Amino acid sequence: MINFNALSFQYPQSSHKVLDNVSFEIPPGTLTLVTGASGSGKSTLLRCINGLVPHFSGGTITGQIRVFGFDPIREGVEVLAKIVGFVFQEPEAQFVFDVVEDEIAFSLENLGVSRAEMDRRIAEVLRQLQLQKLRYKQINQISGGEQQKVAIAGALVTHPKVLILDEPTSQLDPTAADEVLRMILDLKSQLNLTVLIAEHRLERLLPYVDRMLNLTPEQTVTFGLPAEVLSTMEQVPPIIEIARKLGLSPLPLAPETFPNDSLDYIPLVSRQAQPTPIDKPETLLSVQQLSTNLGDKQILEKINLDIHKGEVLVLMGPNGAGKTTFLRSILQMIPSSGTIIYGKVHLENMSFPQIIQHIAYLPQNPNDLLFAESIIDELKITLENHNRDINQVNFRKFLDLFGLGDQGDRYPRDLSVGERQRTALAAITVHDPEIIFLDEPTRGLDYQAKKALSHLFHQWRQGGKSIVLVTHDVEFAAHLADRVAILEDGKLVFTGKPVTAFTTFPPYQTQTAKLFPGRGWIIPEDVVSNTA
Amino acid sequence: MNAIVWILWLTATMTFTLTTRNPLYIMIVLGGLFGLGNRLAKERNMTPWVLPNLRFLLTMILLSTLINGLFSHVGNTALFSIPQSWPLIGGDITLESLIYGVINGLVIGTLYILFNTINLALSTKQITRLIPHAFHPIAVVITIALTFFPSIQQRAREIKEAQMIRGNPMKKISDWIPIMIPLLVSSLENAILLAESMTARGFHKQTELQSPRALVSLILAAFMIFSGWILQMYRFPSLFFISLYILGTSLVTITLLTIGKQANVTRYHQETWTKTSMFSAALIGIYIAGFAFLALIGRLSTLGFSPYPRLHLPAIQTLGLIFSLIPLLPILVLHHD
Repeated sequence: MINFNALSFQYPQSSHKVLDNVSFEIPPGTLTLVTGASGSGKSTLLRCINGLVPHFSGGTITGQIRVFGFDPIREGVEVLAKIVGFVFQEPEAQFVFDVVEDEIAFSLENLGVSRAEMDRRIAEVLRQLQLQKLRYKQINQISGGEQQKVAIAGALVTHPKVLILDEPTSQLDPTAADEVLRMILDLKSQLNLTVLIAEHRLERLLPYVDRMLNLTPEQTVTFGLPAEVLSTMEQVPPIIEIARKLGLSPLPLAPETFPNDSLDYIPLVSRQAQPTPIDKPETLLSVQQLSTNLGDKQILEKINLDIHKGEVLVLMGPNGAGKTTFLRSILQMIPSSGTIIYGKVHLENMSFPQIIQHIAYLPQNPNDLLFAESIIDELKITLENHNRDINQVNFRKFLDLFGLGDQGDRYPRDLSVGERQRTALAAITVHDPEIIFLDEPTRGLDYQAKKALSHLFHQWRQGGKSIVLVTHDVEFAAHLADRVAILEDGKLVFTGKPVTAFTTFPPYQTQTAKLFPGRGWIIPEDVVSNTA
Repeated sequence: MNAIVWILWLTATMTFTLTTRNPLYIMIVLGGLFGLGNRLAKERNMTPWVLPNLRFLLTMILLSTLINGLFSHVGNTALFSIPQSWPLIGGDITLESLIYGVINGLVIGTLYILFNTINLALSTKQITRLIPHAFHPIAVVITIALTFFPSIQQRAREIKEAQMIRGNPMKKISDWIPIMIPLLVSSLENAILLAESMTARGFHKQTELQSPRALVSLILAAFMIFSGWILQMYRFPSLFFISLYILGTSLVTITLLTIGKQANVTRYHQETWTKTSMFSAALIGIYIAGFAFLALIGRLSTLGFSPYPRLHLPAIQTLGLIFSLIPLLPILVLHHD
């Protein structure tokens, strides 16, 4: 079992404790979901279990930890590596070698395991994770989901008692995320593993967890059964939100466990909640017969799609479907064939600097955009790049829109993940473009940060801006979408109303849609507005 | 083919390329390397391989020709003149100096393509596996460095793109500052993450390189090699300095092997010696010995070529042609396998 007893920890040069007097006990063979806002200490707590904190991080630690009889504080990472497997948030950043089997063998080599034993264990873990076909593949040539599985294989090959995963599905599409989670659950029961998973998107995991551990930025820690812990949390997944509104107790954790009788007696009102449709939409950008090849491979095949003024168009699809390529092709960042008309102008006839005057683009990693000394400097640089007069902009008022009004002088890299994301958005939109392309803007964000983003996008839409949102975050998308397009294998397989997309395509069904099939409800607010 | 054989082949090809200035021999080596590289690239689905390498080769030839032509005014065939008053480049531009530049460009390009070919042939893990156990941490660090470089290039491209999205024209040198800062920060962040991941997976100081016995042994070995070098410089009889070299390198080898045996690490892969590998190693060994011997006794006179003072065709000899076929050996071995 894992036991924390009055554990406190403070990073070097930090003025406050990240963990303060934390105590809990995780039984063996259970799955514990570790949750909490960004900066609440989830990663720090997980790193205490294998001794990375304090042995790698430095800092001051008091209290006691016991992990299956081992003491990580006294014995260190080297010893704990034998019983604790750790999978980090970004699998591609933790790989040492370029070939799958070499990567999996790394831990065993460090532990001095014989070659014959290594061979046996690698074959075993590859079989368990169904990775046999990837054994000799280059890691950079496999998909994100497969990379995550390889990282898990690397952690499991030492036969650990504890498996820790830090946001294992944050970069995966819903299908790949489900696959990885199911695999973790299978392994947990097969190997009697004690699993800890840190995750922001609780809805995926809730049905399977045995314990929950919630941390807050105020250093309060709640540990217990999921229903108990969820009852103390403000930001919860849609199903819990609905159950709370219906006054259900105990809280159901999955649509399947929602009591049927409680649904049958929900009194309905006649109104059906839908995002307000735009009358006679004005086409701002028209994509016609767009095809893109990367090397020998065709990524996009004859895509036809219009983007309307003042709408949020959500673009979904599995990893590798061509979503990012679609955005980049429109911006003429990749050579492609077909016609793209902005207003009455063919984008092919415009230069890249001219295009980005009208279309802003937020890439997946907002850190790539930020380099200046302050948030306001970031805005000034964009304006100067576009030859705009910096004196024409009221920066304070502009940053208010992003919830950063009083933080203009802060160094962007010192901000939280959510604040950094909004700074990047401010930096790409300060010159007032009409269309905004957003590529996975909610990756790694907690509920609070997502709420702030959602608020911002609503305001943009009200201001007449068009947003093309590429995301795997189904619940977030359902709150915002005016229209949904689904890309698969480079082809547009669906374009239409959100209610159709989020109720009929299984990978993209929201929890509300699963809970109320056939009613056309996709978000908890639909339930509230349709019930008396 | 065994990694050691590949390294032997690399040594042989590099020695030949660096020794010769005969453009015909270099072109034969280049042709062989393109053939081999293309085959290996196809096996690894890394196409197009020939075109980028050819582009680099032509760029090198162009640069080298320009530089040599502008700065070296030797040669009898003057094509045109730059006024003498122009500092450094003033004087005749001669056909001979341009040709000499072409040859230098060919050599540089060949070496580049040779290393690109060996990169295709061997994985980073195979290369680092050649490093003794005693240097396990160094081997891992080299592996990371080798895999880190392409990822940094990729990150630089992504950041450049992100900055262009913000309207950065990327025209002046100062426009590149927004790339350098995020690149540096993200590289450091990734390095810390990787170090953390490696620590969590049991990577730690494995060896006793700093133990007093090992240190004394290595210092003694270094002293012997250094003394041998001093004696060689002062023209002592070869018996003295060769003995010191042998003693010094033997001591280094024994020390490293001893430390390596104590290191509590294992390696998943072991290089296997097939009959073909052993045959190839023997063949390359004979090649290197034969080449060194013939070059030393002056039987490979056609290796050297100078277009000065007046351009003439390079001489060729059968032995030179045979030696320049060295890139074909792996093709034959791969075909046989």
